[in-house]
Amino acid sequence: MGERTRQVLPSVLSVLLALAVCWLTIALTRDADTATRAYLQMLWGGVGNWPAFLDGGSATAVLRPLGEAAMKAALLTLTGLSVAVAFKVGLFNIGAQGQMIWGALAAALVGAHVSLPGVLHVPLALLAAALAGAAWSSIAGVLKLKRGVHEVISTIMLNWVAVSLVDNWLVIGPLRAVAEGHQSSITGTAEILATAQLPRLLGDSSRLNLGFPLALVAALGVWVWLGRTSAGYETRAVGLTPEAARAAGIPTLQRAGGAMALAGALAGLAGAVLVLGTEGRYPGSLGAPYGFDGIAIALIGNNHPLGAAVSAAVFGILRAGGTRMQLLGVHKSFPELIQGFALLFVAGRMVWLAVLRRRREQPAAEVPRA
Amino acid sequence: MSLEDASLDIVPGELLAVVGENGAGKSSLMNVLYGLYHPDAGTFLMDGKPVRLRSPRDAIARGIGMVHQHFMLVPTLTVAENVVLGREPTRRGLLDLDRACDEVATTAKRFGFQLDPRARVDTLTVGSQQKVEIVKALHRGAQVLILDEPTAVLTPQESDELAQVMRGLVAQGRTVVLISHKLKEVLGVADRVAVMRRGRTVAEVRAAETTVSALASLMVGEGSRGAALTGVPAPPGAVVSDARDAQAGLAPLDAQDARGGTAASAPGVFDARREAAATAASGPLDAKSEGAGTVASGPPVLDAKDLRAKGDNSRPALQGVSLTVRAGEIVGIAGVDGNGQRELAEVLTGLRALEGGGGTLLGGPLAGLTPALAKARGVGHVPEDRLARAVVKAMTVEENVALGRHRQPPFARGPWVDFKGRRERATRLLATYDVRPPDPTVALQALSGGNQQKVVVARELDADPKLLVVVQPTRGLDIGAVAQVHARLREAKARGAGVVMVSLDLEEVLALSDRVYVLYEGRVTGHFPRKDLDERELGRRMLGAESDHG
Repeated sequence: MGERTRQVLPSVLSVLLALAVCWLTIALTRDADTATRAYLQMLWGGVGNWPAFLDGGSATAVLRPLGEAAMKAALLTLTGLSVAVAFKVGLFNIGAQGQMIWGALAAALVGAHVSLPGVLHVPLALLAAALAGAAWSSIAGVLKLKRGVHEVISTIMLNWVAVSLVDNWLVIGPLRAVAEGHQSSITGTAEILATAQLPRLLGDSSRLNLGFPLALVAALGVWVWLGRTSAGYETRAVGLTPEAARAAGIPTLQRAGGAMALAGALAGLAGAVLVLGTEGRYPGSLGAPYGFDGIAIALIGNNHPLGAAVSAAVFGILRAGGTRMQLLGVHKSFPELIQGFALLFVAGRMVWLAVLRRRREQPAAEVPRA
Repeated sequence: MSLEDASLDIVPGELLAVVGENGAGKSSLMNVLYGLYHPDAGTFLMDGKPVRLRSPRDAIARGIGMVHQHFMLVPTLTVAENVVLGREPTRRGLLDLDRACDEVATTAKRFGFQLDPRARVDTLTVGSQQKVEIVKALHRGAQVLILDEPTAVLTPQESDELAQVMRGLVAQGRTVVLISHKLKEVLGVADRVAVMRRGRTVAEVRAAETTVSALASLMVGEGSRGAALTGVPAPPGAVVSDARDAQAGLAPLDAQDARGGTAASAPGVFDARREAAATAASGPLDAKSEGAGTVASGPPVLDAKDLRAKGDNSRPALQGVSLTVRAGEIVGIAGVDGNGQRELAEVLTGLRALEGGGGTLLGGPLAGLTPALAKARGVGHVPEDRLARAVVKAMTVEENVALGRHRQPPFARGPWVDFKGRRERATRLLATYDVRPPDPTVALQALSGGNQQKVVVARELDADPKLLVVVQPTRGLDIGAVAQVHARLREAKARGAGVVMVSLDLEEVLALSDRVYVLYEGRVTGHFPRKDLDERELGRRMLGAESDHG
């Protein structure tokens, strides 16, 4: 078994096992036929109803679901990357949600209040979102590097700070949209300008927008950076064996801080894609916890940037299709359940590998010195 | 580390000290007595009857207590809670803390300890924590108390106090076994001294009838005298010996020729023998004649003055070390483990900040040195703890070959990794240094320890260092790897590098060094040019016996 297979296989098996367990759950509570049909609905809802399309149905039957899946996949990819990048330098970023919130707010503000042509407006809004996310994650980064505050604790706490500041104050207070004419919003920021909207790629029949290719480019970029540049190599070395990296003259603090900032920037971009792509403004609250999903996506993707993209695509599809399960009276939260199980099994694999590794290392351990 | 044919008699009501160098087997022997290690051979008599100790629980049940060098206390619990831990007095199933405090206070009082049973352990000084450990052992009914390097963590005042405590215990009829390598201290307190060397007990003498310098000689062991005293000449390089014939004995009443032993893990035995043979092969005799030809006379690459630095425990580790290293010589740093060698190597490689002193290193100031700066000036480093400091074990061999020079050609082109250049260089180095398997794409952790070390040495020498700092370069390696690493160090020297070699293995120091500095408690206690190298004198200096000899 090659190294690559060994990295990929456990994740694939974990997802399949999770699918099987959830199928069994539906089959036991309902019946096997319903379970199978619900899964089929989920699939058609995610990748499009190809049989119906090939039978002469409209293209919308395929494009619409694919667009929904791609939209969700884009968000999951970016937050998954955020967690994975931090992981590479040895930090556990639980704060993608908070970083995403600030990114979304920054994008919403730049999108609504800056007047620029589309070619510049979208990049500027994205940049603002990335910087806002990076700034927020850097608080945790600095606390960790300067004061030794554990990043799990600080990022979790910063999530709540972000929710409190943005959702519970800014967007219902100072930044609330001012009523214009007859329209008045109760919560949320002003609508972004048309120039700031992420262009839709397939016209009106699908919500597929620039966010998806952007997320793929981000995944590719992180992959290249980690694997092919000296800075990425240093980042991985710091994450794997910090003392050896220090002894080799690598600026370890700089690398860790940089990776944490990049993690925040990626989560911030997720916020921007949500606001500029689908929401059109910062809504009353950010809703779905894509930031937390990022943890599962990253782990199922084995903390590999491309792995995160693939696992985000899979769960984007399942989630987009999940609502269709309701047609058969199956609850729409099953995709999340599948994701949860997959994470559980992947984590189990890590425990298993750790046990195996320890066993292998034991004979080589040094005999204690007198 | 293990024991080979070690015998020990322990007489009730006496204070027996067990001395020996690092790796002589002191701790192994004590771990046998405490039931932590199981002998492969030999017998163990208590009160004349053979006994098998399966675990420390057995040992405790038979009245043996041990105070480890690293305390086994729960810092957030009180003194009383720590002492009764594992055998707590209960009332109706609940912990009876008052009774625990009373019991502990009684025990402490009986043996003359000043301890507040209700004080939290983490508020106590190290010396007091040690007393808690002793009281804990006594509370469990220890008749024989083993103290493993008890003064290593104490201040001089605390050490004096501990000496009184130990004498007090003996006066009350308890037996104390003290493990130490601080000879002066031992002679001040012990009744009898057992000397261990290379897994054997080579002598037992009355403290009143010996001197520091005589003990030092016994510990280091110079051929004829050691043999004459013990009748068992130790093989000249057997630093590590297999423990198949380990013996140990504990006999509060009478146990002549009692035999016990230690658990040497079976897989280790073969390697250990080979290592012993390897060290023997490069022993002092042939090495002296071999290395003596090239006497260094290059310009100084390191001129360090009065170096001061703190150790990890923030106690002073270097207390004014001065040394010079010239291009084209190997300078050995000898000493018993924990006397500042590691910190010295870290200062020279920029890993540890100086607290005082300075000097020049390769044309720049030694103060303010960082690892990156040291690398840039041409310092190579083969650290002691390979897996923590020298390599990233989860990365591939070629990635590890690049580590440290990963931003220079042939490992990088601009900001990009140069995969082709890296592969070529790694492949060549693996072939040159005979690394097996010679595959640059496998994870480093898939290699054996010896091959990992070869990768590290290859990488550091490939950078053509002007000053090479190596620490314990052959620890745990097999015979072939040891010979190769030694050859490479000589090669570096021949190429004009100044080499600083820290080693706990005296044979290695003697075999390779042109000059030797001896470190003891963070100070240089000896400096020997090659022609004046004398193993016995070196050993005495390593043990701080500077004063009673010129």
